[in-house]
Amino acid sequence: MDFITENLLTILILLPVVGALLTLGHALFWRQEGGLKWITLGFTVLNFLLSLFLILDKGASTASGFFFEKNVPWIRAINTNYHVGVDGISLWLVVLTTFIMPIAVLSTWHAIEKRPTAFYVFLLLLESAMLGVFVSLDLLVFYLFFEASLVPMFFLIGIWGGENRVYAAVKFFIYTALGSLLMLAAIIGLYYLHATATGVGTFDYVTLLNTMQAGALNFPAGSLTGTLLFFAFALAFAIKVPLFPFHTWLPDAHTEAPTAGSVVLAAVMLKMGTYGLMRFNFTLFPEASREFAYLFIILAIIGIIYGALVAMVQPDVKRLVAYSSVSHMGFVILGMFSFTELGMQGALYQMLNHGVSTGALFLLVGYIYERRHTRAISDFGGLSSVMPIYATLFVFTSMSSIGLPFLNGFVGEFLIMLGMWNSSALPITSQVNWNYVATMFAGTGVIFAAVYLLWMIQRVFFGKITNQRNRDLTDLNWREIGLIAPLLFLMVYMGVYPRPFLDASKQSVLAVQQRVTERQAGGTIEQAEIKSEATH
Amino acid sequence: MTENNFLSLIIFAPLVGAIINGLFGKKANSELFSGVVACTTIGVSTVVAFMIAFGIGTPHEGALVGTRPVLDHIWTWIQVGDFRADFGLGVDRLSGIYVCFVTFVGLLIHIFATGYMHGDKSFYRFFAYLNLFMFSMLTLILADNFLLMFVGWEGVGLCSYLLIGYYIKRDEARRAAKKAFVMNRIGDWGVLMGVFLIFSMTGSISFYDKTVDGVNVPSAINTLSAMASDPFTWGALFAGGMTSIAILLFIGATGKSAQIPLFTWLPDAMAGPTPVSALIHAATMVTAGVYLVVRCNGIYQNAPTAMFIVAIVGAATAIFAATIGLAQNDIKKVLAYSTVSQLGYMFLACGVGAFVAAIFHVMTHAFFKALLFLGSGSVIHGMHHEQDMRRMGNLKKFMPITFVTMMAGWLAICGIPIWAGFFSKDEILYRTFHTISPTNAAHTATLLGIHVNTILWVIGLITAVLTAVYMTRMMWMTFFGASRFDLALPDGNHPHDAAHAEENAFSHGDAHDATTHHGHAHDDTHGHDAHLDAAHDDDDDEHHEHLTADYKPHESPWMMTVPLVVLAILSTLGGLIGVPYAMSSIFGAGDVNVFEHTLAPVIYAKKEGDSHSLAAPHSDAKKEVKHFYAAAPAPNATGDHAEGHAAHSPEEIRTERILAGLSVLLALSGIGIGIAMFGKTPLRAMPKILENKWRIDEIYNGYIVDPLTRLSRNGLWKGFDVGFIDGIVNGVGHFVTALGSAARGVQVGFVRSYAAFILFGALVVIGYFIYYGLKLVG
Repeated sequence: MDFITENLLTILILLPVVGALLTLGHALFWRQEGGLKWITLGFTVLNFLLSLFLILDKGASTASGFFFEKNVPWIRAINTNYHVGVDGISLWLVVLTTFIMPIAVLSTWHAIEKRPTAFYVFLLLLESAMLGVFVSLDLLVFYLFFEASLVPMFFLIGIWGGENRVYAAVKFFIYTALGSLLMLAAIIGLYYLHATATGVGTFDYVTLLNTMQAGALNFPAGSLTGTLLFFAFALAFAIKVPLFPFHTWLPDAHTEAPTAGSVVLAAVMLKMGTYGLMRFNFTLFPEASREFAYLFIILAIIGIIYGALVAMVQPDVKRLVAYSSVSHMGFVILGMFSFTELGMQGALYQMLNHGVSTGALFLLVGYIYERRHTRAISDFGGLSSVMPIYATLFVFTSMSSIGLPFLNGFVGEFLIMLGMWNSSALPITSQVNWNYVATMFAGTGVIFAAVYLLWMIQRVFFGKITNQRNRDLTDLNWREIGLIAPLLFLMVYMGVYPRPFLDASKQSVLAVQQRVTERQAGGTIEQAEIKSEATH
Repeated sequence: MTENNFLSLIIFAPLVGAIINGLFGKKANSELFSGVVACTTIGVSTVVAFMIAFGIGTPHEGALVGTRPVLDHIWTWIQVGDFRADFGLGVDRLSGIYVCFVTFVGLLIHIFATGYMHGDKSFYRFFAYLNLFMFSMLTLILADNFLLMFVGWEGVGLCSYLLIGYYIKRDEARRAAKKAFVMNRIGDWGVLMGVFLIFSMTGSISFYDKTVDGVNVPSAINTLSAMASDPFTWGALFAGGMTSIAILLFIGATGKSAQIPLFTWLPDAMAGPTPVSALIHAATMVTAGVYLVVRCNGIYQNAPTAMFIVAIVGAATAIFAATIGLAQNDIKKVLAYSTVSQLGYMFLACGVGAFVAAIFHVMTHAFFKALLFLGSGSVIHGMHHEQDMRRMGNLKKFMPITFVTMMAGWLAICGIPIWAGFFSKDEILYRTFHTISPTNAAHTATLLGIHVNTILWVIGLITAVLTAVYMTRMMWMTFFGASRFDLALPDGNHPHDAAHAEENAFSHGDAHDATTHHGHAHDDTHGHDAHLDAAHDDDDDEHHEHLTADYKPHESPWMMTVPLVVLAILSTLGGLIGVPYAMSSIFGAGDVNVFEHTLAPVIYAKKEGDSHSLAAPHSDAKKEVKHFYAAAPAPNATGDHAEGHAAHSPEEIRTERILAGLSVLLALSGIGIGIAMFGKTPLRAMPKILENKWRIDEIYNGYIVDPLTRLSRNGLWKGFDVGFIDGIVNGVGHFVTALGSAARGVQVGFVRSYAAFILFGALVVIGYFIYYGLKLVG
């Protein structure tokens, strides 16, 4: 027991790898594919159960505010350590990842006919990499996991995707790899800067942060180095989120990916971007974060409205959901850059909500795709009369995505907008409070969300059956209902009683918020209008 | 603070009913089961609501007679930083009145619906939705803070969506459902922003002062009403302030209560089953906007500009909708526009500060409009789902109970004394007139040298005449004259013009998709079309059957007629609880305006001194009340007579009586005009523009919906996303590929060029750091 709690994070990361090896071995030695999915399912479920220890038993918090911390030297020559730990920010993202994986595995229970061994191996490796991203506290290790997560996803899309899968996979890979390479450069840059400041180079996030907070290393507002580093990190994350205008890889990747891939991509991988921004950009480069907050807020608002409008006119259900992600993730960025406790808590919560709701939507789209092998809205119509359960669940999930109160989406969006409203990230004059204006524009996204989802529902589910092929569709079976049931439960639970989630992340969010709003010791004081949350 | 944990029973009973019907209704497959579950749960709510409101069997004073609100904290919903939103309920006098009439009228409509929906395939689903609606509506009313109210606010929108679209296969139903939801959402945006501003100005979103878990939560409304009147300028609209709050909340009210410019969804919403129209789109949900404004009257009184806007929008909607109502042939459409028009009256009342009169009209309107809708439902039921009045006539012979009860509704809405509508409508008109009396005159705007409030008052009078005319037309076309059951209509598609217009606007997408995917969609559908239609066209729905000339409409069963009779009694006598002093004194009675005295404490009175208070006991409040428009004290102007009888100067009483006489005269002349015009010629042609609803739907579609859809499709998606961004992404790739001949022959040509770019970028950055590092070291 002690062994488990002491090495919990490492176990979580390694277990899927073990599972992948077993899967591989099973396929190689027994040469039969029947048990593969069971092995994969078993390992993902086990990982999920283990990850619950993170919630139940918090372990000991170290001075740095991290739990379950593990720090062992890895490559001494460049002073890089295997340093992992969770705090309130990463806790729920880790659990979200382990929670989504079994669902992703089950979502393609019958659909994978081509090379199943490789499929399940990639899924398991993907889980490993994603968990690594959320718990790494060493920048180099973080970078390796960040990149490593690309590879399995690249193959998942490229091999098991739709018609246009190669284009989508390459576009996905190139787009995201482009961003992260710049981040690598910035990480190396930080190493050198730390070396010049203290004599010892380091990749360790906690050490870097301590050095910065001690004032030995900082980037005053307007410094070119600080700006460059900030953007090198931010670009990598902005592409991942994706923030307008770096979003065009997303519709292709989502649409072409197999259901499991889409679910994981939407539920977890997009959050790697927002997580990175909050974890690294805000704490390592607070001055630059504040200086360029307006840019991110403007892009986020454009993304919210733009994503919704483009989603509205999509002829393909899956592409519609993909564009809706652009809109929803815009909200997350908006909340984070409000630099208020409300907004940042809301953003963190909205990451989880988006994972649950959009994951569920992709699952549902997958169900119908398995039946009809089409996703074009015009191929459907009147489905509610042949698939009443499916229609009910789809409408329910859409309501969560639209942000209906007492379902999860509302809590997140409300907190984000309330945070932005009370923010001082944008100028406040006697005539106009630009934070209000920003919130008002962002709020229109909530209206458009209703338009694009309800219009799609109207065309797909209501009315008479217009296409003869849909006459004999069968309603959902128990596996399919059981698969989405936990997500539906979470939608209600997280909407009605969000406090456990919010309370658990509170301290960590407050720490980041304090860090990003405090004026640095050696910083030039140019942004007098940035006050540390004067409204609260 | 008074606590009563039974309060939550009022909202949760219908929720339980909805869950039972939703989960087990289909299995049970019994109309009796579903009907009993639905009606019993609402019955429980009704009983508990009345007990708490009047203090029957409760340890505390009734909410309607006591001085303090009855509260019930259930759990803390959201708590982040200083922000807290409780799932907490509260009944004060305002919500007390609301909860009583909503549960009671709701119960009657539920009972009616068991008869009306008899034989419907998804009877259980209907009642599950209906119960869910009651849960949401009661949450809206009983919420003790803005955010929980917003939960109900959105919840009723959702249920309205589900119930309008109940006949799921009908095109106009599904379109109307979506339209209602989206238009409500536009309004909801306003409410949300208003709540944000309230929180940032007061740090609270609670309605009442309360203590939760040992923490004092102050009332946001009290705080705001205690502030000085808002020195508002349009330039500072986005800087915050009470006028901004008031305007934002009013945007929400225009959506929910179907006011200009967001009213077009309500007439279309008539595509839902008739009990739904009665419950949601006449008696309860659509008055939520009025509730919100009256709930926030302390804010509105500090925001004169916003009050002015409310009054103008209300009056404009009242007359505008009335003109359309004149020319509709669908019996439910007439009533729908009439509802919009009456809601306009309520907002006019709010705008001139007559908050009590507004709520009074909400209540009487709930009685008579529910009656009229249920009556029309009874007619439609008896006529085998014929809704076109041109095919009716002489129904008084066949449906005597429906006829007599609907007469009561007709007299009430026309404003004939003693029927309920007379007192409430007259009160509104008198209050509007009162704002142009010399003491208040200086502070309102003028238009062409005439007082705007004079114009508002005249509009109110004209609308009263129009109301009498179109209601008389409706009654005569339906119940009098010769029967015209088999009439062939020249234009065929009468009631659905707007729906068709919207189809065009929103179906570009369908049409477009259809061309893309035409090929395989078509192949196998043709052969089976006939069989498909035969099997599926008529398996549910209130579909039209064309009746023969000798058809005998039947009177409805008791489940339907009993609620009609009860509502007819309420429509006839319900107004007597709010008889103004000017009337009651004619008969020597004293001040018997119970309604006004009950509500007076929830209407904020601005004090001269340092702080506000809820209107205090009669004697001392009198001097301190001042009119929201006027800088000078003007007693008796905040819409409550509570300051005592001295407020009724003989002069004012005389004015009020003269005005009341005038409106009776106008109502009678309206009825006279109606009979003269339509008595002999019920099918008289009406102006086309009115029949086409001033073409508002077409204008919205043509100038907003269509352009936005086109912009999104051709400009944003195909132009910017696919054309521009991906164009750059792919184009750069191709360009570099062309340069580097080494990459030739590779299938995905841009891979290498991307890689080259990345490498280049990375090298630049790494180079910079090396340079920087060397500089530091060297």
